[in-house]
Amino acid sequence: MTPRIFTPLVLFLVIGFLIGPFFIIVAASLSGGETLAFPPQGFSLKWVAKVFTVESFQESFAISMLLAIGGTAAALVLGVPASYALSRYKLPFGETIRTIVSLPIIVPGIIVGLALLRYIVVPFGLNITLTLFLAHTALVLPYAVRVVSASLNNLRSDIEEAAVLLGSSRAGAFFRVVMPNIRSGILAAFILGFVTSFNQVPVSLFLSGPGVRTLPIDMLSYMEITYDPSVAALSALLAFMSIGIVFLAERFLGFSRYV
Amino acid sequence: MFQNRAEALALALPAAVFAAIVFLAPVVILLAEGFRSADSWSLSAYTTFFSDPLNRTVFLRTFRLGLMVTVVSAVIGYAAAFAIVNLTPRNKGQMIGLVVLPLMISSVARTYAWIVILGRTGIVNQALQLVGLSDEPIRFLFTETAVFIGLLQLFLPLMILSLISALENMPKDAIPAARVLGANWFQVFFKVILPLTKEGLVIGGTLVFTGSLTAYITPAILGGSKVLMLETLLYQRVTVANDFVAASVIAFILIVMSFAANLLLKRLATARNKR
Repeated sequence: MTPRIFTPLVLFLVIGFLIGPFFIIVAASLSGGETLAFPPQGFSLKWVAKVFTVESFQESFAISMLLAIGGTAAALVLGVPASYALSRYKLPFGETIRTIVSLPIIVPGIIVGLALLRYIVVPFGLNITLTLFLAHTALVLPYAVRVVSASLNNLRSDIEEAAVLLGSSRAGAFFRVVMPNIRSGILAAFILGFVTSFNQVPVSLFLSGPGVRTLPIDMLSYMEITYDPSVAALSALLAFMSIGIVFLAERFLGFSRYV
Repeated sequence: MFQNRAEALALALPAAVFAAIVFLAPVVILLAEGFRSADSWSLSAYTTFFSDPLNRTVFLRTFRLGLMVTVVSAVIGYAAAFAIVNLTPRNKGQMIGLVVLPLMISSVARTYAWIVILGRTGIVNQALQLVGLSDEPIRFLFTETAVFIGLLQLFLPLMILSLISALENMPKDAIPAARVLGANWFQVFFKVILPLTKEGLVIGGTLVFTGSLTAYITPAILGGSKVLMLETLLYQRVTVANDFVAASVIAFILIVMSFAANLLLKRLATARNKR
């Protein structure tokens, strides 16, 4: 086969396989019919509208937002100083500390969720929402450390040493010299953490109680009982949200440099 | 480099202590539970687990599917990556964007699409009936094929991206040189491209394999209780049977696999940095 035919054919098939299902979801969510079908039966926005009226979706969306924003912020509060220590100081047990904070990325989420349920929630009677928050913080921590470290390593350390020599305190040098320079790295870490946490299912699987559910978990249980296109509509809306966030991040931050 | 150790620890310890308490300790206790029986250490949980034919089936199926997804994604990945690196820079950027795009979409949404496609009244069944290849709807959902397709779609981008960077690091004139010397495309692939992109293949393969092994959503939605994989089995063991010992055994298997894969990746990364 000549490359002239080969290249477009392969790309058409592969990209179609990767992106096609997304278009089908969008089309199915615009259907006027009562059940999930493709091609859609007529055109209507009723399922898109219905998404906003389902009460459990509203609640779980709020919880997922809270976890994604709060958990990522907490992970950065822990992760930024840790990354700073790892990249600028002679840190005792540095490699061990780096491994411990990176572990949550390696261990499958479902195991973390189960372990937390069994050894933290049950024995200590810890609130489910709080446990979810802690779990999502731990989950985002490795991403925060990785992205912020990368951004710190790209910044020459002599400028803060110069600031200290010129009489600034160490903390002053950090907030006035380092922070402004790694701001876009921190923002990139925030976006990556937000998307990771928001789309996360396995960690939250065991950590769902009455009235406390993250949005993806809620979607999973909704589609078990109902076969209408509202989950398709919600999926499409969420996909557009993620794509929008990442697109803006790439546009203004050059996001892909950090990931 | 600052030398103050106390300051360094004060900065780094909160994160490390947090991860140790919220994450490391509970997981270690969970794993230890699988090696305990009546107040002493034992492997009886493991022998019990593997003596159940259902568990063995699920274990083997998880590995088989993981392996199949990895191999097929490598084959498709090479074709796609090869096509992409030969594009003009502008088109190449756009294509890479399209490959990355699905990674940003929730895997619940991505997997859900396959219900629309493979369901009883889905596109595939409609097409088959339209051209007269089958008279009644064929069941695709809740089969291994459906899980395989779902996993392949989920993880193929990781393989393509690894192979793109491997192909780009290959010397530009290696392929034309081999062609000029009379090698056919088959020889070019196995004698030139494959050895030179081995590392990218291993990196992509590890990501795809561990991803498939530890997937939950895809087997849950497309396989259901008919096609259990290790993670869905773990969930079922806990929620249906309250069997935490089996859960611990499965957790241990999954963690060992993930760690082995990660170690391999780390080793490859350091080997590459040395060169």
